[in-house]
Amino acid sequence: MTRKQEVYSLSWDQTDLSKFMIAGAQNGGPIALIRDDKKVLLLQKQQPIKPTIYMYTAAGKLIEQIQWDKGRIVSLGWTEQEQLVVVTEDGIVRLYPLHGQYTQFSLGKEAKEDGIIDCQIWNTGLVAMTSRYQLVSVTNFYEPRPKLMAETGLDQEPHSWTVIPPQYTLSRHVEVLIGTGSTILVVDSKETVDQRLQQGPFTKMAVSPNGKFLALFTSDGKLWVVSTDFQKNLSEYATKSKIPPQQLVWCGTDSVVLYWDKIVLMVGPFGDWIKFSYEDPIFMISEIDGVRIMSNDKCELLQKVPAATEEIFKIGSTSPAAMLFDALDHFERKSPKADENIRSIKTELVDAVDCCIEAAGFEFQHYYQRALLKAASFGKCFLDNYNADRFVEMAQSLRVLNAIRYYDIGIPLTYTQYKRLSPEVVVDRLVYRNHHLLAVRIADYLKVRSDKILIHWACAKIKSSSEDEDTICRMIVEKLIKKPGLSYAEIAKTAYNSGQTRLATKLLDYEPRAADQVPLLISMEEDEMALMKAIESGDTDLVYMVIFHLKRKLPLGEFFRMINNKPLACSLLEVYCKEQDKELLKDFYYQDDRRVESANVILLEGFEQDDIAERISKLKIAGKTYQDDKERAFEAKGTEEGIKLLQMQQQLEKDTHQPFTGLSVSETIYKCTVLGQQNKASKVKSEFKVPDKRMWWIKLRALVEVRDWENLEKFAKSKKSPIGYEPFVEECIKAKQYQEASKYILRCDPPVRPMLFVKIGAFKEAGEQAFLNKDMEGLKQVRAKCSNHLVAQEIDSLLAQLSAR
Amino acid sequence: MSATKDNASHLGNTPLHLEKLKEVARKELPRLLDTVRGKKGLVLDPQLTGPLSLIAEFTLLKDHGVEKIYHLDSDTLDTDCASLIYICRPKMKYMRFIANHIKQLSQKSEDSRTEFSLYFVPQRTRVCERILEEQGVFGSITIGDYAMDWIPLEDDLISMELDPGTWKEIYLDGDHTSIYYAAKSLMKLQSIYGLFPKIIGKGDAARQLADMLVRMRREQAVVDEVSSFTSSKQPSLLNSVSNHIDQFIIIDRNIDIVTPLCTQLTYEGLIDETMGINHCFVELDANLVNPNQQAGSGSKQTGPNTQSPAVPPPVTTTPNQSGKKKKYVLNATDKLFSQLRDQNFAVVGGVLNKIAKRINENYEERHHAKTVAQIRDFVGRLGELQQEHQSLRIHTGIAEQIMDYTITDEFNSILEVQQNVVAGVDGNKEPDYIEEMINKQKSLIQVLRLLCLMSLAQGGLKVKLYDFFRREIIQTYGYEHIETLHRLETLGLFTKRTTATPSRSAFSQSRRLLRLIVDDVNEVRPNDISYVYSGYAPLSVRIVQCAMQKIGPGSLPTSGPSAASLFSYVGGGGGNNTNGTTPSQTNNSSGYLNEKRPNGSSGSLNGKLNPNPGVTVSNGWRGYEEVLKLLPGKSFEITQNVEYGAETNAAMARARRHGMQHTKTTVIFFLGGCTFTEVSAIRFLAQHDESRDYLVATTQMINGNTFLEPIVESIHKESSNHGTGTVSGNGMTQNSSPDL
Repeated sequence: MTRKQEVYSLSWDQTDLSKFMIAGAQNGGPIALIRDDKKVLLLQKQQPIKPTIYMYTAAGKLIEQIQWDKGRIVSLGWTEQEQLVVVTEDGIVRLYPLHGQYTQFSLGKEAKEDGIIDCQIWNTGLVAMTSRYQLVSVTNFYEPRPKLMAETGLDQEPHSWTVIPPQYTLSRHVEVLIGTGSTILVVDSKETVDQRLQQGPFTKMAVSPNGKFLALFTSDGKLWVVSTDFQKNLSEYATKSKIPPQQLVWCGTDSVVLYWDKIVLMVGPFGDWIKFSYEDPIFMISEIDGVRIMSNDKCELLQKVPAATEEIFKIGSTSPAAMLFDALDHFERKSPKADENIRSIKTELVDAVDCCIEAAGFEFQHYYQRALLKAASFGKCFLDNYNADRFVEMAQSLRVLNAIRYYDIGIPLTYTQYKRLSPEVVVDRLVYRNHHLLAVRIADYLKVRSDKILIHWACAKIKSSSEDEDTICRMIVEKLIKKPGLSYAEIAKTAYNSGQTRLATKLLDYEPRAADQVPLLISMEEDEMALMKAIESGDTDLVYMVIFHLKRKLPLGEFFRMINNKPLACSLLEVYCKEQDKELLKDFYYQDDRRVESANVILLEGFEQDDIAERISKLKIAGKTYQDDKERAFEAKGTEEGIKLLQMQQQLEKDTHQPFTGLSVSETIYKCTVLGQQNKASKVKSEFKVPDKRMWWIKLRALVEVRDWENLEKFAKSKKSPIGYEPFVEECIKAKQYQEASKYILRCDPPVRPMLFVKIGAFKEAGEQAFLNKDMEGLKQVRAKCSNHLVAQEIDSLLAQLSAR
Repeated sequence: MSATKDNASHLGNTPLHLEKLKEVARKELPRLLDTVRGKKGLVLDPQLTGPLSLIAEFTLLKDHGVEKIYHLDSDTLDTDCASLIYICRPKMKYMRFIANHIKQLSQKSEDSRTEFSLYFVPQRTRVCERILEEQGVFGSITIGDYAMDWIPLEDDLISMELDPGTWKEIYLDGDHTSIYYAAKSLMKLQSIYGLFPKIIGKGDAARQLADMLVRMRREQAVVDEVSSFTSSKQPSLLNSVSNHIDQFIIIDRNIDIVTPLCTQLTYEGLIDETMGINHCFVELDANLVNPNQQAGSGSKQTGPNTQSPAVPPPVTTTPNQSGKKKKYVLNATDKLFSQLRDQNFAVVGGVLNKIAKRINENYEERHHAKTVAQIRDFVGRLGELQQEHQSLRIHTGIAEQIMDYTITDEFNSILEVQQNVVAGVDGNKEPDYIEEMINKQKSLIQVLRLLCLMSLAQGGLKVKLYDFFRREIIQTYGYEHIETLHRLETLGLFTKRTTATPSRSAFSQSRRLLRLIVDDVNEVRPNDISYVYSGYAPLSVRIVQCAMQKIGPGSLPTSGPSAASLFSYVGGGGGNNTNGTTPSQTNNSSGYLNEKRPNGSSGSLNGKLNPNPGVTVSNGWRGYEEVLKLLPGKSFEITQNVEYGAETNAAMARARRHGMQHTKTTVIFFLGGCTFTEVSAIRFLAQHDESRDYLVATTQMINGNTFLEPIVESIHKESSNHGTGTVSGNGMTQNSSPDL
């Protein structure tokens, strides 16, 4: 069962739709037309004139006309936000809002060079085909990143093609279906898969609104519906025409509508069909629950009759809902049949009421809406506790729907579409059409936030108003002040863009978000203010934004002056420079007379140099810079030493053919010792006044490292060790040289000797030492650790002796 | 064994459901991976692999087409993946790497186009975009954000897992980016749990953070409004005061840099000190984790969480001369670990012993099982028992490894120096030992830890000593460390003495006022938080106690054994105002009634007309002004209100009267990192406080090494190139030093 309702009768001055390229936005949206120069030329053999793009509401009211002055238009379409998408031959995409300035982007190099021959647009993106049959996809109009899709391998124009929008594919990436030869290619960003079909060529194709099904028209006149993964054959229907239809669209998700000149054919899921004829050319727009048909005199909605409606209005229906509807009629005519009807459906009354409410939603005519709701309300009276939420909700929705369906507004939204879109979107749409008052009323009525409407209103006000700035500012603030936390940046921006700088500044003061203030302040050249606001926000990224902007814009001196008294900005610049731009950093420190920091940077730069001469020269500069500050004598001296060390190391490298640079003083001595260059080690020591203690440690470790026991012993005996002899023992033990270790134990202080002996496993000696020390505790400990039976006995006897005393 | 709740480390039934936080980050990941079609390679910031593996398993990545995982650590990348996804922190270094990768890969093969996407954690920055722009690759890469705010490490511990170095960035570089990130993340927290009714804090950066929170709350109202139009996401709770959180305490790391320099003495702390815990993972010898090389079978028994770090495979096994390393996760899924982690290490051996005995007994029970039912019962418990056994073996292994180090003279000497210095002993022994360490060319970090600690505790070193050590250091470790010393001086870590005597230093005064040194510490049955450092109570946590009004202010100035009783307050439960000076922190007066502005001296917001409705500022901390004055930075207290309607107010008042409020949680946020011992100390407070739960939040986990490394960094590379064997550094620093 299908029905075709006339929604609007149109009075537009477009008579021959066949001469136009047309795009209609879904969900009762506007339609755009432009004279199709191909068709015009063909028919009238005229020179192309400057064409105009017309934008109409679904009720045929002109919204805007655009004088088109760019290249040939390949395709038109609409975005989710009801912006008109215009794609030209040379790969430019323009987005026109219903009112106001367009934005544009390019589809990239390939598109520009080869030219676009066709384009498929859905509500958030598009896929364009170049003359070399490459596909370029853009999935987000507002952050367009044109991407080449996989090679199609085509060498001739496809018979037909279409896209499945990303939200309906398994991979969540857009897929393109191309009918070529007798088969279909499925193309995505990575690969092209041939479905290996035999039934083609397919001269028309369309994807259902939910992306699940594909309707194909074959060259032999068959309409074939398959699932979009080509796994399920759904239906086949043979038309008698081999000529492909001008339009092939889905009506909801279960029927397909075909249009040839003067004939509209609707084919249902089970091969059932219905035919309509039209005198004049028409244009069809697929909706989620039907098809909108625009002709030169009316706008109609073709759809499958909803179940609830059918239940009530089917001829001879005796369903509870139909009985209830009938009962109301009787009641109003004061007929007792009313009571009879109600009684007969008493048990199913709830369903009947629900059904009437639902059916009311599907009606466009106020009369039926009212009648059905009345019936529901009447039925409700006989129910004890019926939850009226649905009833209230429906009444509310219908009120909104009727308001926006009104001819002047012209949005023929169905209840199903309304539920899908949500009230917020409906409000947005009214705003795009500059119906601010209605939008605010609806927002208040439905308790939706109205801030965005107010902002849009304010912007529109600024654009259109001719009053002086103070008055406008007062007017806007008066309206908006009641909504705390509302963003003023966009309004201020509008003011600025329309040349009212002072108003912009004024309005911007009301903006609570720094992130929104700063970019605008920059574009208004309020640099200092921008920097201060950015710093205030604490968002370092915002501060960087201003810094980079200033750096690009201002001469260096002025740039530094601007940030000098702002510590956060300075610090951030330093952090950035340390990694990216050392020269700038040095300039920065220099102009601010920050000597020590300068020196630090140069010092580190020096140490990063691989070339020694370079390094030394850098260090010299650093050293000199340190000298400028009396407090930094240590640093200055250290740098000097560092240079001296490098020079010595160069000499050492020449002498020993071993790498030295990069080692510290201690490491240099160590290495000299390891290499057996004792004299050189001593020279370094005296040159750098290395304390004896450290010197001894270094030599000790180095000699143990190369296991030069002879020299170690010599060294130990050279003079009295400033570090004692315990380290000698420890280091030998670490090297597992117990024999060597033992040599030094007796040079250690008596109290520590026993434990050192224990460490090398010499329990006997340990015991003796403890005994000599008269260290009872120590002796006991030695005894406890001792594992050798014989030695243990000896110790026992020592213990006995000691305790005897 | 423990005097309190059994599962010591767990808050267990926190009403906060931290899982939510994990979910937020986890859900985002697949979405991000799916932006690229088909198979792809993932290039990860090495610092992020740990956090990522805490929120998602490898299989999740695999399911979404990730074939290979690379580390973003050099400017060359060899890959055959057709598309690459980078996930990294916005660091300039990485941008240069990525730019090079792009240039390289696009040069290599003209025809096959590699696709690049880049996700910044937590958000893109203009600095990075600018570098990509300068390198000329900005157009060839798709950029997005991945807001991975909080990584719940534990039921009572969440971390932002920023790179270590937050404190240095703030106080040395003056780069406040991490404060901003913290504010953002805390807003996320508030949007999930409601506004913090009270924000109390100490420190300049902490103050900035609090101001940002207040500011963002105002700004957020706008964002909410705008976004509610386009998407009906989960409603944010930013317009109501939290039901679950009673206060939010910000501890600025800057007020206590002494604590992280001390060697942590709890079990978990020592694992961190000796082996390094990275994002809950510790690297162990493979044969310790899996003794019989029965790969897989062991890990299955221990459950999914215990040892499948999974992300990413390239780092799970790193060849090492001591055999293969394997990552092992340390958190509450390991029951035994949660029993041990907060214990002083001195006790751990005994506990392990006891448990070993118990497990053995449990095994023995099988001999008593006579009936079929009993046997079935035993078999049913077998899995659990084996798991326990396995974890016992691992922890015994770990404990032994730690013990190997703790019995050395070196460890004990270092510890002695630390303890003396912190306790205020100003002798010759300590400098002598440090000198010896330098002479032995011990790792610089280790030396600096002691030196800085000494300098901080004594208010700087005597000029002679100071000059001596500076010379020793640059001669031993290289002249490039002139700059390191300069940085340490700027940060106040290592300075000349300015006060007349060390006892006048801020630290020694607060030591007295806050009783930081507790002589009669009991490590087995701790009666005070000082057990975590065997006698030193971490200053930061004492400040937390002040904020909670848990130390009786009147009794503070006294010290010595007579004051031992004052800590009975610690366990005294909530709101026991023992004397009149404790202010009544009037949470229950809603509206704008909290107009208490005592001396108006601190806080820039005071005095001015209050620009933030719903916010009251005072400097709080009543009773502790004296101590707080000693520590650097501002102290403040902010009350956040929401104007509810009269009905809501009445309902809430009723609810309060009837005691229908939940147990509240106090959130303690460490800005600049916290140590495991500090967490343990706070857990100790939690156990002795029935009236509320505690949640520790931090920018990252740190220890003395990771705390100092960022300051010393950037200079290391030179000396380590020449492997002459002189740099002998002990195992401790080798493990946690940044690998090149």
